[in-house]
Amino acid sequence: MGRPRQFEERGAVAAASAVFCQRGYASTSVDHLVDATGVHRGSLYGVFGSKHGLFLRVLDAVDAHDSSSAERLDVILVGLLELAPTDPRVRERITGLLEAHDITAEHLGSRLLARAGLSDERLPDEKEST
Amino acid sequence: MSSNRVTVTPEHLVVEPVGLTKLWSFTRRLQFPLEHVRGATFDPGMRDEPKGWRGPGLGLPGRLSGTFHADGKKQFWNISGYERAIVITLDAAEKFDRLVITVDDPDQVVDSVNSALGAP
Repeated sequence: MGRPRQFEERGAVAAASAVFCQRGYASTSVDHLVDATGVHRGSLYGVFGSKHGLFLRVLDAVDAHDSSSAERLDVILVGLLELAPTDPRVRERITGLLEAHDITAEHLGSRLLARAGLSDERLPDEKEST
Repeated sequence: MSSNRVTVTPEHLVVEPVGLTKLWSFTRRLQFPLEHVRGATFDPGMRDEPKGWRGPGLGLPGRLSGTFHADGKKQFWNISGYERAIVITLDAAEKFDRLVITVDDPDQVVDSVNSALGAP
């Protein structure tokens, strides 16, 4: 109804992405998503269909080139760990992301260690070039 | 103890209210083609959502059965305790846009619904 839903959605997806990265998929409740996005529960269900639908949108959003590579890797790691083993749609999207952004097992491993504070933040190919 | 049995077949999602809720909800069985199902979410927070107006059905604290009307759409609620409540969203082809139901094993039901939707 005249609302610029496009913008609202983009902001909501970005806020949801941050929550999923911080808490993981299973530990993120709809209450957390309502709080973080500022979108009413009814609208979240109406627009995204489910928490799962919102996570798929987050995976699509980190495909965009303006999203940071750390965030992209974090979202992929959450998806790989919690959903991909049993979820064909998440597996398919992650396969696409890995190919499109040339993400290797080493990138994922380094990011995992960096998140835990066990190594520096730089990615392997950035180290090579320095 | 659950109030609903949810079955996912290769083509359909079937929701069957169990026991007395079958009477109160005036519903024996709901069946939806999978292509009309948008997704499922474990959501105990539905406890605090506005339910809209009821008809027909029953409402007691923590127990809720029947058809509710909100936002110009119908929702089917069959709840006995929100700690195992799930929300299933349906597309515009269905008369309900949402089902809010209690199940025995929310994680298992939610995963089986969402995985079935992505199956080739």
